[in-house]
Amino acid sequence: MLQYLHDLWKRIKRPKPGLVAFPEIFEHFQELLQNHQRVMELIADLGEKSGGEYIFDRKYLADTIDEMHTRLLHMVQGLNLITSGRYLELHPTLDRIFVPLESELRGRLSLAGEMPRIVSLAEAPLDRPELTGGKANNLAVIIQNLQLPVPPGFVITTRAYRLFLDHNQLEERIHAWLESWAAGEQDERQTSRQIQYSILAGVVPQEAATEIKRQAGKGGAYWAIRSSAYGEDGELTFAGLHESLLNVPPRGVIQAYKKVLASLYSPEALVYRQKMGMLGEEAAMAVLAQEIVPSRVSGLMHTLDISAEECDCLVVYASWGLGRTVAEGRGLVDRFVVERVYPHRIRRQEIAAKKTLVRPQTGGGEEVAQVPQEEREAATLSEGQVHQLVRWALTLERYFKRPQEVEWAVDQNGQCFILQSRGLLFPKVAAPPKQDICESCAQYPVLLRDTGVVAHAGVGAGVVAQVSSDLDMNRFPEGAVLVTKYTAPWLARIVPRAAAIIAERGSAAGHLATIAREFRVPTLVGVEGATEFLKEGMQITVDTKGRIVYDGRVNELLQYELVQSLAFEDAPEFRLLRRLLSRIAPLHLIDPTAPDFNPPGCRSVHDVIRFIHEKAVEELMDLPGLVKRFKGVHIFTLVSDIPLGLKILDLGGGIAPEAAGSNLYPEQIRSAPMKALWEGLSGPGVWSTEPVPVDFKGMMSSLSKTWAETPGAATVSGFNLAVITETYMNLHLRLGYHFNLVDARIDPDPQRNHIYFRFVGGVTDLTRRSRRAQLLANILSHYHFKVDTKGDLVVAKVLHLPREDQEHRLRVLGRLIGFTRQLDIQLRSDEDIPEFVEAFFEQNTPA
Amino acid sequence: MKDQLKILVLDDEPIVCKRLKPALEKLGYEVDTFIQSVEAMHQIHQTSYDIVITDLKMKEIDGMRFLEEVKKQHPQTEVIVITGFATMETAKQSFRKGVFDFIAKPFKLSEIQEVVNRAAAKIKGAAA
Repeated sequence: MLQYLHDLWKRIKRPKPGLVAFPEIFEHFQELLQNHQRVMELIADLGEKSGGEYIFDRKYLADTIDEMHTRLLHMVQGLNLITSGRYLELHPTLDRIFVPLESELRGRLSLAGEMPRIVSLAEAPLDRPELTGGKANNLAVIIQNLQLPVPPGFVITTRAYRLFLDHNQLEERIHAWLESWAAGEQDERQTSRQIQYSILAGVVPQEAATEIKRQAGKGGAYWAIRSSAYGEDGELTFAGLHESLLNVPPRGVIQAYKKVLASLYSPEALVYRQKMGMLGEEAAMAVLAQEIVPSRVSGLMHTLDISAEECDCLVVYASWGLGRTVAEGRGLVDRFVVERVYPHRIRRQEIAAKKTLVRPQTGGGEEVAQVPQEEREAATLSEGQVHQLVRWALTLERYFKRPQEVEWAVDQNGQCFILQSRGLLFPKVAAPPKQDICESCAQYPVLLRDTGVVAHAGVGAGVVAQVSSDLDMNRFPEGAVLVTKYTAPWLARIVPRAAAIIAERGSAAGHLATIAREFRVPTLVGVEGATEFLKEGMQITVDTKGRIVYDGRVNELLQYELVQSLAFEDAPEFRLLRRLLSRIAPLHLIDPTAPDFNPPGCRSVHDVIRFIHEKAVEELMDLPGLVKRFKGVHIFTLVSDIPLGLKILDLGGGIAPEAAGSNLYPEQIRSAPMKALWEGLSGPGVWSTEPVPVDFKGMMSSLSKTWAETPGAATVSGFNLAVITETYMNLHLRLGYHFNLVDARIDPDPQRNHIYFRFVGGVTDLTRRSRRAQLLANILSHYHFKVDTKGDLVVAKVLHLPREDQEHRLRVLGRLIGFTRQLDIQLRSDEDIPEFVEAFFEQNTPA
Repeated sequence: MKDQLKILVLDDEPIVCKRLKPALEKLGYEVDTFIQSVEAMHQIHQTSYDIVITDLKMKEIDGMRFLEEVKKQHPQTEVIVITGFATMETAKQSFRKGVFDFIAKPFKLSEIQEVVNRAAAKIKGAAA
């Protein structure tokens, strides 16, 4: 094809001096498109790798980022060649995005300047437990991802701890004391006393102190100040070794902070760390401050019964007042044994005679008091509260992939809160005897095997709930297995509630797969016939790691996954990948007319390539103007009954070789996307030339509107343009005042396929135009497009569909372009929308 | 349970061992994993494995020496080599002899499971 281009360009006259040669523009544009495509693939690849089906190492990550960087440099150069250097500021933009990516890869970012010293749980970065500590990181995930109620709080990060040590010149002194202890010159009590004294005497740096006071002043009257060390609540537990201070008034938070820091060096903690061989490593402590819930009832839940009496049950322990009664085993507590399986029957409840409770003391601190006589023998929790807590505990377990120990509280109004969740520690003997997992699974009938693509690896069990419309979504039971034909974006809402997902279509790089990974829901896509084999209400177990679906609930497998196998999501490589992805994949630049659609507005790699693509296409859009300057470029005019005035520029294989002269006939189109779109557009009844009935308001608006109101309208010399190849189409179509852009590729490999559709403008007032945007969004989402609307702008895209699905959607787009041509005039009120959607579906089968 | 095949995995990236062990156990294999080649070397002198999965590029010794040692100790052991994508071709050329198959990093769990199953079928076929 390159040869063809060269030959073509040789015939073209040299342009005026100062302008980039026309052939070069196209070469750069083509190269830019290829690089764009490749970077999109790399992004999709990284996303797929985060699903757990692949085994990768750091080298893979480094190589991928490296290639991405190189490609982007070429794209920036290409764009600047096309536009005579108008976007040179993209170079610093690239640096701004790639320097942190490369520091992440070298593991040097964690304590760098951009990391916060103090941050609220609601805003704390996820996947940075080395900054916020295990406990706070879990809470941030519970708040931000799982959206369960947690009392507000903030973290004083490990970075603040470092600054505290620096500020007080403590690091070397602590090191020296520890060394002399290790050498046997001092015992742990002396060592501990010296270190703790110097920490308590230290001064918190001014900036940090101000921020702590500000955060502490925001919330409730009292705070719980706890350690959140890295590794704590993780593989090693320091549970109980570090100090927790309850009921601290705002003015006492800084002193409490130092006390908790000092507890890192208590004699017990020192001995423990020495025993675990961790003394050599630098200890870094983050501290969590959480608002105190003046709880009426509080307690713990274990998602696995450690006493192993009933391994199919959870256990809830509860007592009156604040949490210490249960946690420290201070007295008799209520015990509820609840079945793990829906509807979570309470199998037993043992109500204890509760004599004492812990309650807040006025002025700070806490005290032990007598339980009033009438409450001693009463159950602390209602059945509804038990169920609520149990559902949350299972959600936590599903997400963290480990049996959980959950601290909770119920306030005076009866509202429940999660206070903490951590991996449950249990003696190995408590876990059932290890049997051969392969043999156990073999006893269950297999419904599906070796089909589909893994979007997120894992195991989940539940009843099948098929979802095909919004209505089904509201009925979706917590912890069910979602079975669906398509991975439509609107399913995103129920992903967090699903135990597993099976979709007949979709790809591991698609939108639903991305969401599933965010919520760690085991997901298989591309499972043909799933909705047929997996009937509503069936109990199934989905093992996406083995790509097997079992009939029934395979308890042995579920237990094995929870207890034996590694939660890959928490492996350092996966955390690193997710941190990299958060700087690469999100797309913030959607609307090209927004004021921040510029290089400084680019926040991710995806933003940059989106920006470059848009600007390059924009440049190409001015082709009508450019083409005039470069006489001799062969542009065909499409001859048809439909008055589009469409010009076609073929970059290779898009038209029949025998096409000659300046006219092209529809049957000579070879470009797959163009062909499909044209079939839709030229279909019977689509291009209605009947005058549209216009009501008064619509008509007045049409009359009074001038061309100049639509940006660029006046400068366009009245022709529409399609740039095509055999597999690609970029179509710009201005119809009246509407502006359509369709960019599509149909390749034999679905991974390369996309349809991008943009629609803007219109003749009537903004309300009506927005109404039309809503209508389009409505229709497009039925065809599984991911749609964003903003005012009268509609941006829709769909990725990675196989050929026939792509063609179907392009035909629909063709019809839709015809259908909506003058629609805003007809749409008089919001109530009209459903009627028009119906009208459209009547003529076009929804997918 | 008696005719369970034994697999040794050696890779200095802990993530590879941690992921492979449960994935292969679920297929019914008995799996030992090592991130230190010294320990793996010691182990193959103690025990005979049906299948050995090893990385080629490791910090301490190269996979080639380990592989040769495996074959010397137990010629019937099937060896599967993991290698970086870039070095795949060189690896194939220099090790074609005696290696059951090659897998390029990053790889899918299902890919390696499939290769291991093929190796197991070969071993069982030879035994029958």
